[in-house]
Amino acid sequence: MNTFQSYVMPYVKKYKKLIVATIFLGTLSVLSAAMLTFTSGYLISRASERPETILLVYVPIVAVRTFGISRAVLRYLERLLGHNAVLKILSEMRVKLYRALEPQALFINSRFTTGDLLGTLADDIEHLQDVYIRTIFPTLIGLFLFVFATLSLAIFDWVFALVMAFCLAVIVVVYPLLSLYILKKRQLESKVLHSRLYETLTDAIFGISDWIISGRKEQFVDTFMKDSHASHEAEKKLSYWHQSRTLQLQVFSGLLVIIVGVWAGFQAAQGEILPIYIAAFTLVTMPIIEGLIPLSHAIERIPAYEESLRRVDRIHKFGGAIEVTDGSTFSEKHANIEISNVSYRYEGQQRYAVENFSLLIPQGQKIAILGKSGSGKSTLIQLLLGALAPTDGQISVNGHQSAEYGETIYDMMSVLNQKPYLFATTVENNIRLGKRDATTEEIEQVVAQVRLDAYIHSLPDKLRTQMEETGQRFSGGERQRIALARILLKDTPCVILDEPTVGLDPETEYALVDTMLETLKDKTVIWITHHLTGIESMDHVIFMDEGEIAMQGTHDELMESNERYRQLYKLDRG
Amino acid sequence: MDKKLLQYKGSKQVMAWVGLLTVAQSIAIVFQAIYLAKAITQLFHGVVWTIALESFAVFAIAHIVRHLCQWGKERIAYRFAEQTALHYQRMLVEKVFEIGPHLIGKHGSGNLVTLALEGIPKFKKYLELFIPRVLSMAIIPAVLLVYVFTMDIMSGVTLLVVMPILIIFLILIGLVSQNKIDAQMDTYRLLSRHFVDSLRGLVTLKYLGRSKAHEQAIATVSDKYRIATNRSLRYAFMSSFSLDFFSSLSIAVVAVELGLRLINGTVFLEPALTILILAPEYFMPVRDLGNDFHATMDGKEASEQIRGILDEKTSGIDNEVTSTSQWSDTSRLTVNGLTKQVDEGQLILKQLNFKVKGFQKIGIVGRSGAGKSTLIDMLSGFTAPTAGEMTLDGVNIEGFGFPDWQNQMMYIPQYPTVFSDTVAGNIRFYEPEASDEEVEHVAKQVGLMALIETFPNGFNEKIGQGGRSLSGGEEQRIAVARSLLQNRSILLFDEPTAHLDIETEHGMKEMLLPILEDKLVFFATHRLHWMENMDSIIVLEDGRIVETGTHDELLHAGGAYACLIEAHRRGMKI
Repeated sequence: MNTFQSYVMPYVKKYKKLIVATIFLGTLSVLSAAMLTFTSGYLISRASERPETILLVYVPIVAVRTFGISRAVLRYLERLLGHNAVLKILSEMRVKLYRALEPQALFINSRFTTGDLLGTLADDIEHLQDVYIRTIFPTLIGLFLFVFATLSLAIFDWVFALVMAFCLAVIVVVYPLLSLYILKKRQLESKVLHSRLYETLTDAIFGISDWIISGRKEQFVDTFMKDSHASHEAEKKLSYWHQSRTLQLQVFSGLLVIIVGVWAGFQAAQGEILPIYIAAFTLVTMPIIEGLIPLSHAIERIPAYEESLRRVDRIHKFGGAIEVTDGSTFSEKHANIEISNVSYRYEGQQRYAVENFSLLIPQGQKIAILGKSGSGKSTLIQLLLGALAPTDGQISVNGHQSAEYGETIYDMMSVLNQKPYLFATTVENNIRLGKRDATTEEIEQVVAQVRLDAYIHSLPDKLRTQMEETGQRFSGGERQRIALARILLKDTPCVILDEPTVGLDPETEYALVDTMLETLKDKTVIWITHHLTGIESMDHVIFMDEGEIAMQGTHDELMESNERYRQLYKLDRG
Repeated sequence: MDKKLLQYKGSKQVMAWVGLLTVAQSIAIVFQAIYLAKAITQLFHGVVWTIALESFAVFAIAHIVRHLCQWGKERIAYRFAEQTALHYQRMLVEKVFEIGPHLIGKHGSGNLVTLALEGIPKFKKYLELFIPRVLSMAIIPAVLLVYVFTMDIMSGVTLLVVMPILIIFLILIGLVSQNKIDAQMDTYRLLSRHFVDSLRGLVTLKYLGRSKAHEQAIATVSDKYRIATNRSLRYAFMSSFSLDFFSSLSIAVVAVELGLRLINGTVFLEPALTILILAPEYFMPVRDLGNDFHATMDGKEASEQIRGILDEKTSGIDNEVTSTSQWSDTSRLTVNGLTKQVDEGQLILKQLNFKVKGFQKIGIVGRSGAGKSTLIDMLSGFTAPTAGEMTLDGVNIEGFGFPDWQNQMMYIPQYPTVFSDTVAGNIRFYEPEASDEEVEHVAKQVGLMALIETFPNGFNEKIGQGGRSLSGGEEQRIAVARSLLQNRSILLFDEPTAHLDIETEHGMKEMLLPILEDKLVFFATHRLHWMENMDSIIVLEDGRIVETGTHDELLHAGGAYACLIEAHRRGMKI
C-alpha cells in the first residue's frame, strides 16, 4: 500500500484536472444510461394516460432521444480523455524510472540477478496503466453513481434513500472488500504456482537435450502436468468465485428491483409521487446496479499491481547508492593513466577483488589483460572509469582522480564490451551515437575503417538499414564492427576492449582483432581478452589472478622466461 | 464461427447443453420482462400491492432462473475449456519433448514457453467465452424478437432493422479503424519499443557518455508515443462507440415510438413496458461479444499457433528401433551417404561416409558453417538424417534418435544446462538414485571439489537460475560429472571450450583427457589443439568430408587441415 502512495497518488494529484474530467464524463455516461431507462419508463407511463396533446410528453421524448445518444458519446470521450491522462502519467513514470536506473547502469547485472530485469521493468510500467483505467476510474465512477442515486432518491423519501444506501452498500462496499480479502490470498497462490511452472518449463526447455538423453522426458511431462493441474485448480477456484459472485449480486439486484417497485407503489398509493413514476423508479434500478457491480472487479485487482510496483520501487531504493559528480570538464586529447597500489573490496566481501595493483599506461600504449573470470578484470575497468572508488590507492588520469571526471570520463575512454547494444533504429543512427553532429562523410569513413562499407552498401537501404529488434539482422562480428565504428567516431584517446570477441568463431575473431588493432593504432588500448590471438602486437601483457598481477611483460619476454605462458600460447594457437 | 471448435473432444455436448440453457435463459428473460411489466402496471393502476407482489414473485423466479442458467452455462463452458486446455498443454509439451532441440531452435525457447504458459490460458479463455457468447448471440435476440413481434409489430421491425445495421457498421468501422491503425503501426511500434530499447541499451549509452542526455529523449519519445496512441485510440474506440450508439439510440426510438402509439391508444401500457424492458436485453449479447472480442481473438490466434506446432513432423525415427548392444571395444558403426537437407532445401551435409570401430576419439573440424554441429546433432539423434544408410553392429538404423543409443551417450554443448537445483541434484540428473559417495567421487574426478567446498551448503548449494551462478568452465565440469555418474560410453562434444578463457580451457583439457580414454568420442571444435589427442580427424568443408586421418598425417598431407592450422597460426611469433 505504501508503494501505491508513492507511485500512484502523486500522479493523481498532478493530473487532477484530467482525472476529474474523465471521472465526470464517465459518471455522466453511466447516468445517461440510467436516465434513458428512467425517462422512457416515465414517457410510456405518461403516454398511457393519453394526454390531450403530444406537446405534454414533448420534454420526455426529447430527453429519451438525448440520453439515447449522449451515453455513447460521453463514454467515447471518457475513454479518450482517460487514456490520454494515463499516457501522460506513464510518460512521466518512464522518465522517473530511467532517472533512477541511469546512475546504476554499470551495476544492474550484479545487483539484480537473473532474467531480463530491464524488459520486465518496462512491462511493469505498461501494466501500471491498469491501476488507473481498470481500478481508479471505475471505482470512483461507481462511487459517484452510488452517491448520486442515493441523493436523488432522498429528494423523494430520505428514509427509503437511507435503506437503499445500505442495500447498495452491499454491492459498493461489502462485496469489493470481501473480494479483495478472499481473493488476495488465492491470487497470490495462483501466481506463485504459475511462476513456478514458468521456471520449471524454461529450465526444462533449456536443458531439453539432457532430458531426452537421460531417458527421463516422460517423467518430466508427468511432473509438469501435475504442477499445471495444481495451477489450473487454483485458477478454477478464482473463476468459480467470480461466477458465483455474479450470480449472488444479480439475485440481490433482482430483490432490490422488487423493493423499489413496492416502495414506488406505496408512495403512489399515498399520493407522495405520481403513479407515472412507478415504472421509472423500478426500471432505473437495474442500470444503476449494473453500473455498481464492476466495483468488485476493480478493487480485487489491487494486489495484482503490487508486484510491479514493488519491482519499480526496488530500483528507486537503490537509486541513491552511487554518487556521480557531474564532473568538471577536464577532458583532453590524451590520457596518461597511473594506477598505484589500488585495492578494491566489494561491500560484505572478505576477499579483495583487486589487490595492490599498480600500472602505468602512457598515452598510446597497448595493454592486454588476461585472467580467468572472477580474477578482477571487470572490477579494474569499473575503477578506471570511476564507477567504483578504490578502497586503497589511487587511479589517476592526466593527474586527476578518475572519479573526479564524473561523466566526462567517457570523453576520454570508450568501451567496447562483449555485447554492445545496438538500438532499434538505423545503422547510421547507431553509429552517430558516437558523435551527434557527425557528417555523413565522417560516418562513411568510420564504416570503411571497420571494413563494413562493402557489406552495408550492398544492403538495399545502405546506412539507413534498420537494425531490427536487438540487431538480429547482423552477425556477431558485424555487430561488433558497427559498435567499433561508433567508438572510432567518438575518437577518444583511450579505448577499453572488454572481451569483444567472446562467442565469435576463430576466423571472425582473427579478422575483428586485425581491424581493431589497425584502427586503434594511435590510441591507448586496454584489451581484456580470453584468447591470445593478436597478443603479439601488444606492448604489455598482464595476467591477473585473484585480483593480483600473476605475470607480466611483453609477449617476447614472457615467451622467453615463462613456462606457463609458453604452454598457454601453444595451446591457444594450436 | 470457428469450425475447429467442433473438433475438440466433447465440444458438441457442451454446445448442446449451453444451447439448451440459453434457450431456457431467453424464455426466462421474456417471463421476467412480462411479470415486471405486469407488476408495474398493476401498481400503476392502483391495484392492492399484495397482488402486485405475486407478479413480482414470478419476476423474481424468472430472474433467478435466468441467472442460474447463466451461471450454469459459465460453469459448463469453464470446465470444458479447462479440460481441453490441459489436454492441449500436455500434447504441446509432449510434442516439444518429442521433437526436441530442433523445434526449439526453430521457434525459440522463449516463444515455446510463452505459448505453453500464456497461449494456453488465452486458448482456455477463448473456449470459455466463445461458446456461450456465440450461442447467446444466436439464440437470445431471436427468441426475444419473436416475442416482441407477437406483441407489437412496429417495435419488432425497429429492433430487427437495427441489428443488421449495427453489425454492418461494426464491420465497416472495424475495417476503417484497422486500416488507420495499420497505417501508423510502424511508427507506433518503433515508439513503443523505444523505452525497452533504452533500458536494455543503458550500459552502452553510459559508455558513450550519452546516458544523462538520453533522459530528454525518453520524455520526448514518450510524448510522441502518447500522441500517436491517442490518434489510433480515436479509431480503436469507434467500434464500441458504434455499438453503444446504435443500441441505445434504437432503445430510445422504440420508447418514443411506443409512447406515441400509447397516446393514440393503439398499444397498451403493459405490452409497451414489456417491450421497453426487453429492448436492452435484445442488444446485450452483441455488446458482450463486442466487449470480449479481443480476448477471443487472442485465444483464437494462440490456438492456431498451438495447432501449428502440433502439426509439425516428428523426427521420423521409429521409436521401436532398438539395438540392445552396449558400445564396446568391438562395436562397429558404419555410416554411408549420410545427407541432411534443411527445410529450405539447402544441403548441410552431403553424402558422408565413415566407419568407427571400438573406443576411438574422433575430432571433427572445419570452418564455421561446414556442418560440424549438424553432424553432432545427427549423431546425438536430435536431428534426423534426410538420407543415408547406417548400421550399428550390423543392424540397420534409420537415425540416432532412439533411447538405446541416447541412453549410453553424453552430449556436451558449448553451453551445457545447469538446472535450477542443488549441485548434487544437478550431478544426479541422469541417475537420480546415485548415492552421495558416488556424487562426491565424480565431483572429485572433474575437479569440482575445491569449488564446492567454498559453498556454505556444499553439495546442497542451489545453482542455476535463481541460485549461485557458475562460470563457463564450472558449468562444463558439472555437465561432465553428470554423465560420469552413469559411465556413459559415447561422448559427443560440440564446441565445448570456445567461449572459455585460455587458462580455464587449459584446466578443462587436463581434466577431460583421461576421461576420454576407453570411450567413443566425437569432438567437434574450432580449437585445433585438441586434435593432437584424437585418434582420427574428420575435416568437413561445405558439408562434405574432405579429409580423414590423424593430426600428423593430415598436417603433412598439406591439404584442408594444414590450411586450417596455417590460418590459425597467422601472426604467430615463436
